[in-house]
Amino acid sequence: MSARPNPRGLSAQDLEAILAVTSKLAAPFDLRTMLTEVMSAAKQVLGAEGGSVWLYDAVADELVLEVATAIEPVRVPAGSGLVGACARNRGVINVRDCYADPRFNPEVDRRSGFRTRCMLTLPLVDHKDVLVGVMQVLNKTGGAFDGGDEDLAIALAAQCAVALQRVKMTEALIEGEKLRQELEMARVVQQSTLPATMPDVTGYDVFGTFQPAGLTGGDTFDLANLEQGLLVVLADATGHGIAPALSVTQMQAMLRMAFRLGASLETAFTQVNNQLAATLPPDRFITAFIGLLDATRHRLRFHSGGQGPILHLRAATGECIRHKPTSFPLAAMPVTALRPAVTIDLAPGDLVLLLSDGIYEYRNGEDEEFGDERVCDLARACHGLSMRHLADRLLAEVKAFARGAPQEDDMTIVLLKREAARAAEHRSFPRRIDAIAGIFEFTSEFFGLQGVDRRLQGTVDLALEELFTNMVKYSPETGAGVRIDLAKVEGGIEVSLTDYGVEPFDVTQAPEVDIDAPVEERQPGGLGLHLVRRLVDHLGYDYAKESRQSRITFRKTVAGLQDGAL
Amino acid sequence: MLAIDFGPEGVVVVAGRFDASQCPAAQAFLDRVDGTVTLDCGKLDYISSAGLGVLLKTQKRLLAQGGKLRLAGMNRHILDIFQYSGFDQIFEIEPAR
Repeated sequence: MSARPNPRGLSAQDLEAILAVTSKLAAPFDLRTMLTEVMSAAKQVLGAEGGSVWLYDAVADELVLEVATAIEPVRVPAGSGLVGACARNRGVINVRDCYADPRFNPEVDRRSGFRTRCMLTLPLVDHKDVLVGVMQVLNKTGGAFDGGDEDLAIALAAQCAVALQRVKMTEALIEGEKLRQELEMARVVQQSTLPATMPDVTGYDVFGTFQPAGLTGGDTFDLANLEQGLLVVLADATGHGIAPALSVTQMQAMLRMAFRLGASLETAFTQVNNQLAATLPPDRFITAFIGLLDATRHRLRFHSGGQGPILHLRAATGECIRHKPTSFPLAAMPVTALRPAVTIDLAPGDLVLLLSDGIYEYRNGEDEEFGDERVCDLARACHGLSMRHLADRLLAEVKAFARGAPQEDDMTIVLLKREAARAAEHRSFPRRIDAIAGIFEFTSEFFGLQGVDRRLQGTVDLALEELFTNMVKYSPETGAGVRIDLAKVEGGIEVSLTDYGVEPFDVTQAPEVDIDAPVEERQPGGLGLHLVRRLVDHLGYDYAKESRQSRITFRKTVAGLQDGAL
Repeated sequence: MLAIDFGPEGVVVVAGRFDASQCPAAQAFLDRVDGTVTLDCGKLDYISSAGLGVLLKTQKRLLAQGGKLRLAGMNRHILDIFQYSGFDQIFEIEPAR
């Protein structure tokens, strides 16, 4: 290292040269151009014959020769040679006679044919004090580098380090931006294959929706009227980035093609699987539900490669049946023996729910998963809604459950409901107390099929029982039964009981019972009507003299519910 | 359907739907109990005025003997029926656990 025989500071001329370099370095260069620019400036300002820049590879802890005369890239361990010593000590090394310095590595000279006499070696440290590389300036024209040259070189190196860091960041950003754009494009392709409108299926309400998660995920769905029936698909490709988006798009195109060429469910499932197994990378697979609905026979036949649970809500009972996949995920391996497809028979009002695991596995802040129980509960409670509205409610429920936890995966919902029969029904019951069980069965079925709010059922049953037993008690056995009509109304149900061949008895005018009487004075009589009047929203009575027909009508709606009470 | 039977520690357990068609069987069972009897209503889904009538008749008989019927574990729906009928003033009702 030199003493400084003639310290001179920075002259105005030197400063101008440095500033010229600085302004050049501010331009958006690629790395190589930037480094070449720095070296030519260094040679000019310092009167040097050549120079080189080594970049520090922090991961490998090595220095990589980036700019020098045309030679192959050289990598040296960060501790070795003059560059290594400079990188370690972060100080300027000024060597007047390189071949006399044991740290000098003549290998680079041998490769380039250049003969190094004297050399200035400077660390490149950015403004966060991070080592980004080492700069070397060689062979001062007509002598050796002095203290003034060192000062100049340090100023230049500081500019260079900052510019270098900026270029590296810009390059990383550009790379990221390219990736982002490609990803966005893949997502656009993925979404463009989704059905633009929901197909019309007589007697059915079908709806599908896809909620992408930022830039990752590989869900898709399909709903299309084909010759084989309504095609119902929900699929989820594994992984993140562009690949899954493209895989599901490919799968969907293949499926549609197979079905349009007349393939059966089994053939399409097997062929598409085998084709994907042969073409997708070995670590990729797609979970997929592929079903065909016969809307006249009300049967949904499906194969599911690893996609589940498949939920079937039976309207009549409120039972939620969970079907398992029939096979492993698509593309995992070729299918050699396929298990038989599963058939779901759909009764009026039955609902099939297909959801991607972006919903089932949505985690809230407490690391709890949304799961399928919540889905079943909601489907039961909101069974009367249109499928579009049910999907909205499901997504809202997931959002409320998440309490701000971010969406990590695509969420896809496909809903299929066989429309319930008519919105009104009637049945006749014999005038006997043991007919009550049949009446309850009738109301329970009707609530299920019509999606009437189940919270109302206890009250409706109670009112029906009270009015029916009154008719049994106070009217003579006429042979004619009591007719019960149930009709769905906004937010609830309207019920009427018709009794034939009887004397008039207006239930709305029956005397009140004293419910505050002491126990000894209380009688069971009259209590039933008291409860009915208290619990229903509206009670009406009419009597037709000619036919001696008595009719009681009542209504119960959710509007009458207060704080969850009856 | 209604199930009515003795549970642990002499408690009487009623489960299911206590409607008019179930009253004769329920009344026959309750006519045989004496003293202070706890009725576990935790699994009672439904009760109509006919069911209330059976409980009322039993309560009157037991009170006359110096005993009584205590009702435990009823759900919100059943409790509402008791309140709307004033029967919450006739029976000692233990809050649901």
